[in-house]
Amino acid sequence: MSTPLKLVKNLSDEENNYQDISKKKQKQPMVCYDKISKSYGDLQVLKKIDFDIAPGEKVALIGPSGSGKTTLARLLMTLEEPTSGTIKVDGELLWHQKIKGKKVKANEKHLQKIRGKIGMVFQHFNLFPHMTILDNVAAAPIHVAGIPRAEAEEQAISILEKVGLSDKFNAYPSQLSGGQKQRVAIARALVMRPQIMLFDEPTSALDPELVGEVLGVIKDIAQEGEMAMLLITHEMDFAKDVADRVAFFDEGRIVEEGKPEELFYNPRSTRLQDLLSRFRGR
Amino acid sequence: MTILYLLPTLLQGLKITLIITFLAMLLAFVLAFLAGFGRLSKFRVVRFLTAFYVEVFRGTSLLVQLFWIYFALPLIGISLPPLAAGVLTLGLNYGAYGSEVVRSAILAVPKGQTEAGIALNFSPWRRLRHIILPQAFVMMLPGFGNLQIELLKGTSLVSLITLADLTYQATILNASTMETTMIYSLLLVIYFLIAWPLTRGIRWVENRLSVGRY
Ligand SMILES: Nc1ncnc2c1ncn2[C@@H]1O[C@H](COP(=O)(O)OP(=O)(O)OP(=O)(O)O)[C@@H](O)[C@H]1O
Ligand SMILES: [Mg+2]
Repeated sequence: MSTPLKLVKNLSDEENNYQDISKKKQKQPMVCYDKISKSYGDLQVLKKIDFDIAPGEKVALIGPSGSGKTTLARLLMTLEEPTSGTIKVDGELLWHQKIKGKKVKANEKHLQKIRGKIGMVFQHFNLFPHMTILDNVAAAPIHVAGIPRAEAEEQAISILEKVGLSDKFNAYPSQLSGGQKQRVAIARALVMRPQIMLFDEPTSALDPELVGEVLGVIKDIAQEGEMAMLLITHEMDFAKDVADRVAFFDEGRIVEEGKPEELFYNPRSTRLQDLLSRFRGR
Repeated sequence: MTILYLLPTLLQGLKITLIITFLAMLLAFVLAFLAGFGRLSKFRVVRFLTAFYVEVFRGTSLLVQLFWIYFALPLIGISLPPLAAGVLTLGLNYGAYGSEVVRSAILAVPKGQTEAGIALNFSPWRRLRHIILPQAFVMMLPGFGNLQIELLKGTSLVSLITLADLTYQATILNASTMETTMIYSLLLVIYFLIAWPLTRGIRWVENRLSVGRY
């Protein structure tokens, strides 16, 4: 019986049918935002967002400052709680759980279970200043995954080598350049093998000459394939290279989304046209 | 010559002073952490109770607290021996000040550290233990250092509840020998000699712990 699989193939391009298929557990979305809203007091930052990310999909999120991109990622990383709506990760509710058939607020244990599938790289690195580079990367394997130290360090070493930092194991974060710090932060998130990784403007705190090395590392990881990525970025060329899909965010809504070529060469909304021309102008 | 006569008695008092200092420090340290965390608790009752404790002990004088615990408590049926009363008062008082040191150091750890911990799926306890506390503790040390010295100096008040500490012995010697200048000079020197290694000790820990950080 190969029909169902074929069916998925045919329909998965069409956004509308996507939901129905996911219910049948056929290649369900990695992440599914369902009518997600978020307000800070009177300010509504996200307005009923429906947004899916498929397993292994690389999605770039672009949009003007203050449009809510970071907030969207922070809700998924459980750093911020949605005001309404639900998020599913790998088919399971993130902020809610079912107890005796009733949907209630998720407890810490439930959050930890789901959170393990998600990783995040921050704009300002947020490395642990009191730990060496090696310990920064090995800390989660040791304290979260409970792997013996020696084994955790081995994993950390091989990931640090992958991001080109094999000579910095015993340095402290304060002794590194911004680009090196961000590569450590990427290694630190990567070592936990998340199924989806969030990058919130990973290069916008860097000196221009250091941006390339970090984007290079992210590109390498993207090419390896299996891990889904949500890339919030102002680097349009990078987005074009890496992303399978680009979503344009404005005032708490997804205004436009599609393949990078479509969006960048054929922007429909004037807001996106404005944004793109501003970047071209630089 | 007079020194040789005065010293043995003073050193006897020194022993009591050191014992009180040490025990009160231990108590203050534990209370500082309990109350410091208490003020950051997510439970309103806990926050209220610890704030109450801290404000009462910061807002009244050490001497009055000491007298209250030693002279007034017995009237409601709790009488403590002088040493226990002294240690308890000093511990409660400096624990209250210390809790502010603990609280502000924890709050001073950047929010991004907690968020990185959450993103790596650390449990709340492990976040505190491995990420927040190691950074906060270094920031607490200068504050603890000051309080340590304050506490040491505060111990001289226990002479007023009949404890034969350094100050008490000096007062007694002064009454019997009238060597006022000599006795109080010695007293100054001895207090300073205890305080100095305490200060150096804290510095040393501070330097050890902040390796590579800045
Ligand atoms: N904790 C908060 N409290 C109040 N308002 C907030 C908070 N966090 C974010 N906001 C507001 O929400 C809006 C969206 O913020 P967000 O950081 O998601 O935007 P962004 O698209 O990431 O912008 P940028 O490109 O500047 O990073 C902004 O107006 C911001 O001021
Ligand atoms: Mg942002």
